[in-house]
Amino acid sequence: MATELIRIPGSDFQTEEMILNLGPQHPSTHGVLRVVLKIDGEVITAAQPDVGYLHRGTEKLAENRTYPQMLVISDRWDYLSAMSNNLIWCLAVEKLLQIEVPLRGDYLRVIMVELNRIASHLVFFGTYGIDIGAYTPFLHAFREREKILDLFEEVSGARMTYNYIRIGGVMADLPEDWIGKCRSFLEWIKPRFVEYDILLTENPIFKDRTQNIGIISKEDAISYAITGPNLRGCGISFDLRKDEPYCHYQDFKFDVPTGKQGDCWDRYWVRIQEMKESVKIVEQALDHLPTGVPNAKVPRIIRPPVGESYAQLEAPRGVLGIYCLSAGEDKPYRVHVRAPSFINLTILQKILVGMKLADVVAILGSIDIVLGEVDR
Amino acid sequence: MINYFKTIYQVSKALLQGMAVTGRWLFQPAITVQYPDEKLTPPERFRGTLVFDKETCTACNLCVKACPTACISLEPYVDPATQKRIAKVNWYQIDFGKCNYCRLCEEACPTKPIKSVRHSHDYEWSMKERSEMFVKWKRDPSPVIADTPKDTGTKAA
Ligand code: SF4
Ligand code: SF4
Repeated sequence: MATELIRIPGSDFQTEEMILNLGPQHPSTHGVLRVVLKIDGEVITAAQPDVGYLHRGTEKLAENRTYPQMLVISDRWDYLSAMSNNLIWCLAVEKLLQIEVPLRGDYLRVIMVELNRIASHLVFFGTYGIDIGAYTPFLHAFREREKILDLFEEVSGARMTYNYIRIGGVMADLPEDWIGKCRSFLEWIKPRFVEYDILLTENPIFKDRTQNIGIISKEDAISYAITGPNLRGCGISFDLRKDEPYCHYQDFKFDVPTGKQGDCWDRYWVRIQEMKESVKIVEQALDHLPTGVPNAKVPRIIRPPVGESYAQLEAPRGVLGIYCLSAGEDKPYRVHVRAPSFINLTILQKILVGMKLADVVAILGSIDIVLGEVDR
Repeated sequence: MINYFKTIYQVSKALLQGMAVTGRWLFQPAITVQYPDEKLTPPERFRGTLVFDKETCTACNLCVKACPTACISLEPYVDPATQKRIAKVNWYQIDFGKCNYCRLCEEACPTKPIKSVRHSHDYEWSMKERSEMFVKWKRDPSPVIADTPKDTGTKAA
């Protein structure tokens, strides 16, 4: 009696988990981000974001920069929305100095920050299309963004590193007929949103690639301290412009769009709606722009009293906060930046698990990070 | 089966709608500018390369203190006869490798009505070596050594 050897088909296949590096030099990581993926076939079993390739140590640099000089550095955090960075630094220092900015200054700040939010979301819209494989939206988005950058260039002299919002107000009042140009831009961009919906939002292929992908649950979003459109995409209506108004945001009427289930498409949709809301805010601000001087009186050498301050605002990517500790010198003793991109990025290791490899880029793009801010 | 054809229909419809958007833009004038044949005029507040006026500068050091990256250095002029510092510079140097083009130096400069150090509207400027990024202005009596960026004169006086 000979024993029969039973062979299970496929049992001699060698299968093992593979480690795949996404980045740091990868066009879809929007900068130098490395994600170490452990994959089992096509399914991701673990993901580890690796940050720090763009680290410039700006928090340390702040310790030997005077307060106005630090503004120049703040432009370089989230370079897609440098106005928000300028504003948050000014808010933190003004809190230390106990300065009240005149109403016109506040309104000018709101106009700039909201225009910058549109520009920043336009970059997201364009590059997210490319991530998914649609090239046309990119060209449309950058055409619109170019117009905003032209407006900024006229008002501040630079296209990305504005250094426009200053401690106590703004750099200078609006140039002549800037308001007219801004209005014609707003009129021009409104019909563009319809085109965006045709091109991307309602496209069935795009929807298939993004709906039910990378779902963030409400609980996860809160426990990972996700903010901004990523949080609102989960259906949580939290927006500092409404919940803790700064710069007279309480004067403006706007809605806070929220998604339903927190998938990639919801996060995308929230950003598109936010652009429309920003248009509304800028229109209201232009309509009710107060007259007067935009700047408060600020001492020539800024030497805040000993103390600490924390200011936060709703940047295009989430809650941007500055903790500033003054020792009574003309330079801060310690500065900490609460960078929304950095904190939003941490959810990646949770939501990537169980997803297919092809969805990684879609999910990463929908988180909308800026590496300059992640690494600072 | 019905779903299958439905999807095909929906996708092709969306495709045609998208093409229609593209098609509409196809017949509109191009928005791109053919640089370097065509050029845009920079706005009034444009922050281009820095120019320096070596005659009006009073060597007050305010720009050096204002600069966030410490890229300006200067030496005040000392009269050889009397050994006294006078309100003129001997030389003035900007390291354009470090410059942020931030206008803090221009804002700090006290000379009136034209600032001694100011942004021009010039943006076409390239260097091959790092040493060329140090631009030095020398005041008379010694002759100018380094080449200076040309001031196109577009900035209002
Ligand atoms: S523009 Fe800014 S970085 Fe450049 S020299 Fe002037 S202060 Fe320094
Ligand atoms: S350029 Fe202006 S700020 Fe600088 S040393 Fe001369 S006068 Fe003073």
